[in-house]
Amino acid sequence: MDFSLINDALAELVASGHSHYIFFGVLVGLTFGVVPGLGGTTALALLIPVTYAMDPVAAMYLAGGCMGATSFGGSLTAILLNTPGTPPNAATTYDGYPLTLQGKAGLAIGASATASALGGLIGLISLLLVIPLARNIIYLFGPPEFFLLTILCLTAIAVATRGKLLRGLVAAGFGLMLAFVGMDSVSGELRFAGEIDYLWDGIPLVPVLTGMFAIAQMLVLALQGGSIVSASDRVTRLSGVADGIASVFRHWTHLLRGSAIGTVIGAIPGLGGVVASFFAYSSAAQTSREPESFGKGNIIGVIAPESANNAKDGASLLPAVAFGIPGSAESALLLSILILHGIEPGPSILIENQREIYGLILAITFSAVGASLIGLIGARWLMMITRVKVSVLVPVVICLTFTAVYVLDGKLGDVIICAMMGMIGYLMIRFDYPRLTFIIALVLGTTMEQAFHQSVNISNGNMTGYIAGRPTAIVLFVLVILTLLLPAARSFRTGKPEK
Amino acid sequence: MKLLTHFLLILIALLPAAAQAEWPDDKPIKFIIPFGPGGFDAYVRIVSPGLEKILGAVVVPENMPGAGGRIAANAVYRARPDGYTIGIWNMPGMTLPAIVGERVRFDLKRLTWIAQLGVDGYGLAVKATSPLTTLDDLCNLGRQATFSAQGGLTETASIAAVITMVKLGCPYKLVTGYQGSSQGTLAVMRGDVDARINPIGSLIPYVDSGDVRLLLTFEKERSMPGVPTIAELGHSEFINFGLRRVVAGPPGMPESIRDRFSAALIEVTQSEAAQEWSRNTNNPFSPLDSEQTATAMQDVMRFYEEYGELLRRELKGN
Repeated sequence: MDFSLINDALAELVASGHSHYIFFGVLVGLTFGVVPGLGGTTALALLIPVTYAMDPVAAMYLAGGCMGATSFGGSLTAILLNTPGTPPNAATTYDGYPLTLQGKAGLAIGASATASALGGLIGLISLLLVIPLARNIIYLFGPPEFFLLTILCLTAIAVATRGKLLRGLVAAGFGLMLAFVGMDSVSGELRFAGEIDYLWDGIPLVPVLTGMFAIAQMLVLALQGGSIVSASDRVTRLSGVADGIASVFRHWTHLLRGSAIGTVIGAIPGLGGVVASFFAYSSAAQTSREPESFGKGNIIGVIAPESANNAKDGASLLPAVAFGIPGSAESALLLSILILHGIEPGPSILIENQREIYGLILAITFSAVGASLIGLIGARWLMMITRVKVSVLVPVVICLTFTAVYVLDGKLGDVIICAMMGMIGYLMIRFDYPRLTFIIALVLGTTMEQAFHQSVNISNGNMTGYIAGRPTAIVLFVLVILTLLLPAARSFRTGKPEK
Repeated sequence: MKLLTHFLLILIALLPAAAQAEWPDDKPIKFIIPFGPGGFDAYVRIVSPGLEKILGAVVVPENMPGAGGRIAANAVYRARPDGYTIGIWNMPGMTLPAIVGERVRFDLKRLTWIAQLGVDGYGLAVKATSPLTTLDDLCNLGRQATFSAQGGLTETASIAAVITMVKLGCPYKLVTGYQGSSQGTLAVMRGDVDARINPIGSLIPYVDSGDVRLLLTFEKERSMPGVPTIAELGHSEFINFGLRRVVAGPPGMPESIRDRFSAALIEVTQSEAAQEWSRNTNNPFSPLDSEQTATAMQDVMRFYEEYGELLRRELKGN
């Protein structure tokens, strides 16, 4: 591990006098994280013109500060309002919001802040450890591995929807259906797009997710009336925060595992944060001794996804650092900031642009910690939002959300999709269909199909032989089988049949 | 985000109840980019500040990615030709949908061509450790040679592969689904496919780092030492393959506005800042004024139309 480079980067951070850019980035990131529909990508895109006149390293501080803070900001909305502020926080709503309903929002925020900060640190260390191996890791994942990875994630869905298997599968099927709208990336054929230009590029994730969670949740609240937590409930006082911090250390294995999952999935281009945090959540729930406590306010259900969420930020830079090729929407924007400063990202980016890259890594890490600190300090006031009358809260959040979704790309179609998904999401809540499996299927559908076609095409139809010759693919295949056997193994152990 | 900026700018512009006077007045000029961050985006963002200075107007680059560039193409085509909307075009990429028989809503022949900013020659790359050293090797694999490509028929690079391989009588196959040229290059480095055609400038970093090797370039004269050109190999009809980055406005833009744009853009490409960027990033400038651009584009369209039937036939099967 090369700590001397991090030392240099730290020295530069202190000497440059640009450290305030990280702080500014954190504030922007937190704000964009909290508002449903706005997220890291929007924030970075907005910052690009701002960085034009800045020193490239300062620009990286600003961008890194912003990138590291959005996911914690998003977890606040997920915990307090059952509405993920950014897509990767969707998994946090499962246990974060039940905790809020039980008057333990402080506990959840404390845990989320700590898990985010530590996840960010673990992500940094793993990134430094694997940078020398970055190329080998990326070479390990070709089309067949991508295909098997998506199958593994979809299998995890089936297992994670414990007791609601059929409903989970229906929701996932719906997600896959929507994933295939638009231009087929393999043949170039248009599918299910009709004459609508907007649908050429498929159904976009952010408006769907925002509608499904934010708008649907506002409909639920509006129909229920009152406020999220009744004002008389004294338990909502700050008491929980310290417990929340402690809980992360008590469940340190989940912190480590969540961070490891975040690092691995983050490093693989195209999968991203939604999959990382969902996978961390479902693996925590699957291997738990009390799986039925998940979804009802188990603090591990907050720790696992939030640690994965921040650990993935560092790792998602891996393809960019190794080859100058972006592995996520956010790193594409980071690279375009560098391009704007006359730096052409390429395979030697780490050697030629050491200052910028390590400055960025440092900024992301500081930001994960800094955002958590700010969040902890502000937790007391933030929790007040759950006492706000629903008649005030709902219109404000709905307006904010629609505006955010529109501003994202300036497309009215996005707003329409968001509204439609809000209604579908409400129906799914009402009739108890899991929304997260729908989202995961929507995220994975395109990658899965594309990787499958590519594998078939490259192997001339001999997929079995192709997979058999690739060790990584074999490992993934075995993992798929194990995941499928897990419920049977569990019921065998407890002697009770799985529901 | 960008929209918000626009909105504010437009508000500011409306404040003094501007009488429609000289172009450009205080209205911002929209410079539409058909892709997200990448080469086209970089060119526009590099020339925009200079353009602002010379024209004395606000220039707002706006990314309008989607549908392989068709959404931006429609937007520029349908805009009012008042000099407040221009776009950068991927040529010959945007000629291809119509050529392969897709119903399109823009007619390239009616666009107001303003200037060509740059031309990227293409190179054919294989993995550095690949045993292939010549085009003949690639042709005689005893199986189809595989190329990484994007789906969706607007990627000039894969069209170049199709035309070359068919005309040389080489068995080939496109493995599609790779998003963008960098993913396509990664596919070669990872060993998914045998080869990839890409702009030379974007391949140079990977040649320097020892990841890929060039078998040939599609040029008239050598720009890469030790790498033969397609002309040397006896197929000078293919030297026209190349990615052109061209600025054009909606049909019917007044000549005076067109010419001022054109002169300003050419001046910007010759500025020290732009030249330095070009050298550092392997993004060449080859500026042409509006007349020259219009002629060049006619040639490009004619060249690809000749291969229309071949492309329709080949891409159906792929």
